[in-house]
Amino acid sequence: MRLVALDGFAEKRGFHIGQGVAEARAMCPEIDVLPADPAADRALLAGLADWCCRYTPLVALDGDSGLFLDITGCAHLLGGEKALLDDLLARLFHLGVEARAAISSSAGLSWAVARFGSDDILAEDEAARALAPLPLAALRLPRETIETLGRVGLKQIGDILKAPRAPLARRFGATLLLRLDQALGREDEPLSPRLPVAALSVERRLGEPVQGEDDILGLAEELALRLKPELEKRGEGGRLFELLLFRVDGAVFRITAGTSSPLNDPRRVAGLFRERLQAVHEDLDAGFGFEILRLSVPKSEKYEVMQEDFSGTPDRERPLAAFADRVMARFGAESLMVPALSESHVPERAASFRPLTDLALIGKAEEPGNNIPAPLLAAAARPQRLFPSPEPVEAVAEVPEGPPRSFRWRRTLHRIARAEGPERIAGEWWLDGEPALERDYFRVEDDSGRRFWLFREGHYGASAPPRWFMHGVFA
Amino acid sequence: MADTAVQRETVLSLRETIARIENRRLPGVVRAAKAADPGGFRQREEEEPGRKVLSLGVPDLDDLLEGGLPLEGMTEIRNAETRDAGAAAGFAAALGVLCQRARLEKGEPVAPVLWISQSMASTEAGLPYGLGLKAFGLDVRGLVFSLPRTVKDALWIAEAALSVPSFCAVILEIRGNPAALALSESRRLHVRSRAGHVPLLLLRQSGHEEASSAFFRLLVEPAPARERPLPDGSMLRGSIGHPVFHVIAEKSRAPAPLGFLLEWNPHDRRLYPVEPLPAAAAADPEPAHSVARLSASSGRSGRAQALGELVAFPRAS
Repeated sequence: MRLVALDGFAEKRGFHIGQGVAEARAMCPEIDVLPADPAADRALLAGLADWCCRYTPLVALDGDSGLFLDITGCAHLLGGEKALLDDLLARLFHLGVEARAAISSSAGLSWAVARFGSDDILAEDEAARALAPLPLAALRLPRETIETLGRVGLKQIGDILKAPRAPLARRFGATLLLRLDQALGREDEPLSPRLPVAALSVERRLGEPVQGEDDILGLAEELALRLKPELEKRGEGGRLFELLLFRVDGAVFRITAGTSSPLNDPRRVAGLFRERLQAVHEDLDAGFGFEILRLSVPKSEKYEVMQEDFSGTPDRERPLAAFADRVMARFGAESLMVPALSESHVPERAASFRPLTDLALIGKAEEPGNNIPAPLLAAAARPQRLFPSPEPVEAVAEVPEGPPRSFRWRRTLHRIARAEGPERIAGEWWLDGEPALERDYFRVEDDSGRRFWLFREGHYGASAPPRWFMHGVFA
Repeated sequence: MADTAVQRETVLSLRETIARIENRRLPGVVRAAKAADPGGFRQREEEEPGRKVLSLGVPDLDDLLEGGLPLEGMTEIRNAETRDAGAAAGFAAALGVLCQRARLEKGEPVAPVLWISQSMASTEAGLPYGLGLKAFGLDVRGLVFSLPRTVKDALWIAEAALSVPSFCAVILEIRGNPAALALSESRRLHVRSRAGHVPLLLLRQSGHEEASSAFFRLLVEPAPARERPLPDGSMLRGSIGHPVFHVIAEKSRAPAPLGFLLEWNPHDRRLYPVEPLPAAAAADPEPAHSVARLSASSGRSGRAQALGELVAFPRAS
């Protein structure tokens, strides 16, 4: 067992990372050793990243111990860079998180200064001055490179700042100069934010935290009202809305609600979140209240502006869209489905259900399978209810290819009065990729008038005996 | 004199209200009073207000249902055993087709049918099958299907659907007699359906009779199909023709349950009454080794077996 992380006290006592636990205990018997839990560490960091969304939407994870915040264009909202940094550190301190931070014009420089330096805000031309006294580890270099550099007496960044570049690159590799250029701001370093940035978002900071569901929904409606002019200006409506709730103790809740058609009506947006809050009721613990609410639109689409006509007939689409949104916000996007027909011989592939994504398609959709001529459909009898996976039955049938005479399904014996068939359907080898067995389908009626769809998989006389399945029931 | 006229008016309006609540035709007195105009002019003959029905095209059944399927309110369709679910679902789908067709004939915009099936019901009796329903006459482009996990979720979706005027029919499929759908819940759905002007078909799969607020309860049993007709007028022996249902009106204004044999013609998209098969009784003798469907229970407290629960027991033979 080795030490992987140290607190301030342990650092002062001279422990170092990688030291054996037994050795550390021998040096100082009263130390407290906790087993490492990387998953919990990552969860904490992700939670902090969410929390940092209050300053900027562009938050990127840096390994497992740091965060990059791109505050370009955000600092003035919080009273300048100094105020932002003070606010951030003070709040983190109150959350019980020991943190160091620095603001500069490049990610590499901030990284170096936050970990090894003493400045907190650096102007653009101070990079070289700030970097010079720092150790080479501040350049995010691999350990071997630092050791190699140390062996030739290069310990500080100042040692290589003025050195000729070509010999350095030749001897220590391109990474050294790349990292140096990134820290000096000569090379661009893209940050990849954890979450995509929404095109539009509005937020409200509250003096007094709110707890009640109605308060949250009222504020959501107010935010949606502020969002509407922006959406109208773009001629768009939101297809996905996201409500971020920042709890006073640092927890952040994200609630997303999709819509079935572009939407910008504030009342309906609030209505969506009413259903979502019902659905996530157990997971959403208001605690001591929420202090910041933010509503953003991660996905939007063109909004067709429609004019009401004078005939007075209610528009069918809009109430249907409202209904679909309510249901999907509460039970998920898969809760409403529409039949999807496709050109396939295998019955379970020929018709299935797909989630209702676009309301405009109802009643108008031309599916490929819809082009099957009616006579063909009538000739090939298909059941009105189909079992997703055929159920095995014990059948007594004429050998070799006759219809069944009786069968036992779900422990009940059915005597067959009439049968039609067989209809042979071979497997789709171009999809299944393996020699699927042929099925012979029979439409049968038992002596009390129930009509079933049975099939035999395989043939009598083959190496394996055929098996009978129940696949559907007719009206 | 004026006093009696006012009283008479009050009584007539009360009778009209009662008729509306009970979903009956207006009494003749009320109708005559409404038709008469004080000025002596004949008013335009209009449909009975407050009662919308869909004629099923079968005179006897329409008479029993007092005009046809109520288009505002709940109608219950139930089947006794799970293996009869095909027949009941087929009958419900047929009513859905008729609703779709009626809207089309009236020139109203196409409205989808919403089929809510509690997942247990569809797991046991199979999912509605698009191709089969298309061949059955349903316009599957106007079908929205929902598969909620619990009965409560299904009721919630049904209630939400009944309050928007976008569906031409809502089919709510429930398995058995869950406690979550008792009299008060059914009353609530019924009232919603009347207020929203959307017909609700409660499809109760393998459940027994239960008091509910539905106007009518129809028990649907499978019945042997007729044979396919040949072009020369004869029948193709041994073939299975259009589906036939045995529909028994369990709850209606008729003094005793009445049964009808109805054949659904997917091509014409309408129901036809059919005569019972004359040879059915003769051709269907008692099985050679007749046994009771259920062995008598022994060794435990005997309880009357409830209707509709005879499903999955092995035969004693």
